Amino acid sequence: MQGARRTARPGRQRLGWWLVAPTLVLLVGFNVFPLLYNVVLSFTNAELTGGERRSLGGANYGRVFRDPVFAGALRRTALFVASVVSAELILGLVLALALVKRFPGKHVVLTLLLIPMMLSPAVMGLFWGLILNGNYGILNQALGAAGLSQPQWLTDRDLKFWSIVLIDVWMWTPFMMLIALAGLGAIPPSIYEAAQIDRAGPWRVFWRITLPMTAPVLGLAVLFRATDALKQFDLVMATTGPNDASTQTLSTLLYQVVFRDGKVGLGSAFACTVLVVVMALATVFTRYIDRMQKTEAAA
Amino acid sequence: MKLLRWLVIAGYLFVATLPLVWMGLSSIKQRDATISANARFVPSLSAPVGEDSARFEATLDPYRQLAHVHAGARQSFWGHLKSSVTIGFLSTAAAVVLGSACAYGFSRFRLAGKQDWLFFILSTRFMPPLAVVVPVLIMYRRMDLQGTHLGLALLYTVFNLSMAVWLMKGFLDEIPRAFEEAAMVDGYSRAQAFVRVVLPEAATGMAVTAVFCLISAWNEYGFAMTLNSSGAVTVPAYFAGLQGNIEGMPWPQIAAGALVFVAPIVAFTVLVRKNLLRGMTFGTIKQ
Repeated sequence: MQGARRTARPGRQRLGWWLVAPTLVLLVGFNVFPLLYNVVLSFTNAELTGGERRSLGGANYGRVFRDPVFAGALRRTALFVASVVSAELILGLVLALALVKRFPGKHVVLTLLLIPMMLSPAVMGLFWGLILNGNYGILNQALGAAGLSQPQWLTDRDLKFWSIVLIDVWMWTPFMMLIALAGLGAIPPSIYEAAQIDRAGPWRVFWRITLPMTAPVLGLAVLFRATDALKQFDLVMATTGPNDASTQTLSTLLYQVVFRDGKVGLGSAFACTVLVVVMALATVFTRYIDRMQKTEAAA
Repeated sequence: MKLLRWLVIAGYLFVATLPLVWMGLSSIKQRDATISANARFVPSLSAPVGEDSARFEATLDPYRQLAHVHAGARQSFWGHLKSSVTIGFLSTAAAVVLGSACAYGFSRFRLAGKQDWLFFILSTRFMPPLAVVVPVLIMYRRMDLQGTHLGLALLYTVFNLSMAVWLMKGFLDEIPRAFEEAAMVDGYSRAQAFVRVVLPEAATGMAVTAVFCLISAWNEYGFAMTLNSSGAVTVPAYFAGLQGNIEGMPWPQIAAGALVFVAPIVAFTVLVRKNLLRGMTFGTIKQ
């Protein structure tokens, strides 16, 4: 009881604020301040090389909304997020269902499967370039040996986007699998036993029990992956570079505009527009976590 | 059903590990063998006889050549690895200390707007690096931090703080308050109680947090290539910079370097395997 009284004593909270202050100051300095500064820059003709800055009014925003290149990058990023998240979700769930039962060597297999998500996307993306190379890549050699066609994975205009999707799926399916496994593990066996007594078939059990009961954690996994995939930069840079019309994502376009074309003002306007989308998604995400933690606390 | 299960597991195990296996094989080849029109996947001690042989002569040259400075780069692989290590350790230490302090503050004190602050901290993680890099670049140019170890380490510290705070908050919340309160009743000050009672209990959590901070700093590429293209270049930015190299891609050296670069990450993954889920989800799923 004495401890509780101690915490309640006025002035006691000061130490608490001292503990959290450095982190909050750093986060404001490196997140909030750059955001505001971005807004200021977005109304100017600022260039990377420096020089005099003039106000342009809303001209940069006019360009952002009219330019088909921006619209294309936005559409492509949305397609990328939708593709990788759904492919990873389905594959991850299938893997988790296959792995949920105990078997000898399970821990070794699991650890091996999880390694891709821990590796550097920039480095692995570069190395996938060797694997997917149209002329001497191992994938095409295997396809050739099987008598199948050997597409130019990373240079074919219609294919390279999907090759990057493929690499992302390779990297992040383990993440979905890991979360799905946790969800499956949390289902009490008694529910399955009850279903068995009712003679429910495996499909019915999956749709009526397994899926609904893992849905909350899978939702969290989807949000994690979606916010991450929205930022996709490393893999595109490592495979096709920032200025490829069929693979340009929001982040790589931003890089191209600011660092290759040197147009900081335009880039900032673009970044501010993107951030509205990011913040919307982030809000959905944090609300979701908030709700999940509250139901967990209630349970 | 059982057969299907095994097929799924074995098939995906093959797909998941193939790039690393291929990396290992490529790292003991001569350059010609890495870009040969027929796959060479059987290492042997002597040079292969035919053109279409699947064998290649194994060599350790690529590892020796990691000391070689490639066209377009200023340092060898080892120099860049040193930058990665310095920046990784500096930022990890800072993020764990600051993050633990912050998490302790939120865990044990009733601070106004606590929930809002925590979600503000989490939301910084969603920021695309490319969206904040320009103001940071302008700031860094003024403060002479561009292209320095300190500058990038500072930035990684900030970007790992959200993860460090959330992970540590989860670990600290699990330590019963009664422990410290009992110690304080026995006459310990809060600082003494923290060091003698909380720290030993939180050590595992701090180690797990450190591993995840280190991995995220180790793998980071966006800030590394935009802020540190001139100095203190980390390994991911260095490898990416070899693209379009006039000597052609030095694949065996890239494979050898990449293997050296990812080996510690694989080791750490094995070490924290029980806390992987927790780390990857910032402690929002605790299992």
